Amino acid sequence: MHWGLMREAAMIMTEPISGKSGDTLKRFPEGESADSAPPPVEESELVGRARKGDLSAYDQLVQRYQERIYATVYHMTSNHEDANDLAQEAFIKGFQALKSFKGGSSFYTWVYRIAVNKTINFLKQRKNRAQMSLNDLDFNAEHDPDLVALVSDKTPRREAGLTELQEKLNEAMQKLSEPHRLVVTLHDVQGLSHEEIAKIMGCNIGTVRSRLFYARQQLQGFLSDYLK
Amino acid sequence: MNPDSENFDSLRQLLALKRHEIPPPGYFDRFSRDVMARIKVGESGGAVGFELSWFQRLLSVFDVKPMFAGAFGTAVCAFLISGVISSEQAPAVGSAATSSVNPSIAAAVPVNMEEPFVAPSNTMASGSLFDQFQLQTKQVDDRFYLPNN
Repeated sequence: MHWGLMREAAMIMTEPISGKSGDTLKRFPEGESADSAPPPVEESELVGRARKGDLSAYDQLVQRYQERIYATVYHMTSNHEDANDLAQEAFIKGFQALKSFKGGSSFYTWVYRIAVNKTINFLKQRKNRAQMSLNDLDFNAEHDPDLVALVSDKTPRREAGLTELQEKLNEAMQKLSEPHRLVVTLHDVQGLSHEEIAKIMGCNIGTVRSRLFYARQQLQGFLSDYLK
Repeated sequence: MNPDSENFDSLRQLLALKRHEIPPPGYFDRFSRDVMARIKVGESGGAVGFELSWFQRLLSVFDVKPMFAGAFGTAVCAFLISGVISSEQAPAVGSAATSSVNPSIAAAVPVNMEEPFVAPSNTMASGSLFDQFQLQTKQVDDRFYLPNN
């Protein structure tokens, strides 16, 4: 099983970027709506200017996608400092390799794949020193009805319960293999569709579905004490 | 097998907690600035030395397209193996060359028919590269001589 997963991870890293020109990822669960998504034409304009060396155009591209790229890397590593370094390096690598960007997919998908490849490479090297450095929960977490229901059943003190849940959840995530963790992160945390995940990971939708099912089963086993 | 049809509702509620994990305030205000600063430093640093920028370009290609890294590694291994094989075959070729003496060279060398020809040790065919380096020992006369007065 382990070698099979390693092969899958290698396939993610070696398969070419797929997708049609102008593809955009439609779901933005982290505070953005589809209406606020920039039109593809504008993105292609910025990419064209950045390819000619216009740093301000690339700066706009970075600002546009930084939160989603950072969030994905953070949820994969459970470490803020590592996520910061890897997300920055992904954007720097994206700028350096911009001349090789053919426009076969959206810039977002392309830079996303750079970030994912970098993160998976990093995690393979980090295997023996998985140390978590978790971000704080925002104020809204205490008022999220789903979380309130989960925590109030278990602990009398809500704040302590959330922090404990956060640690256990991240520990469980770190027990998953990289491809399974990535699928759960993209689908259940970031809200991307199976099709979008398949484009980013360079695999078919069936593979995404089976990985998601397996990853959820694993997580449910790890977190059985905290689930109803 | 549809993962959404299974009963993972509680788990999905719990996973929603991760959406509330946010970096320190003002982090994203600095993020793009840091990225652009590192890009500018890299651009100015890239012109310092040709070899460094060439090496960095190679590494960046490996990073973006990991397949190239595998192909490059395979090529290096193949080159190494072919070098080892050719070095092992080299002594056999050398011995074959010494056995067939060039007639013009043979005519040029005066041959004393009474003494057998003994090839110098350093030209003899050897089993390996290391055998070609033979230490020539010379017997030391350890008798003590008194100077003549």
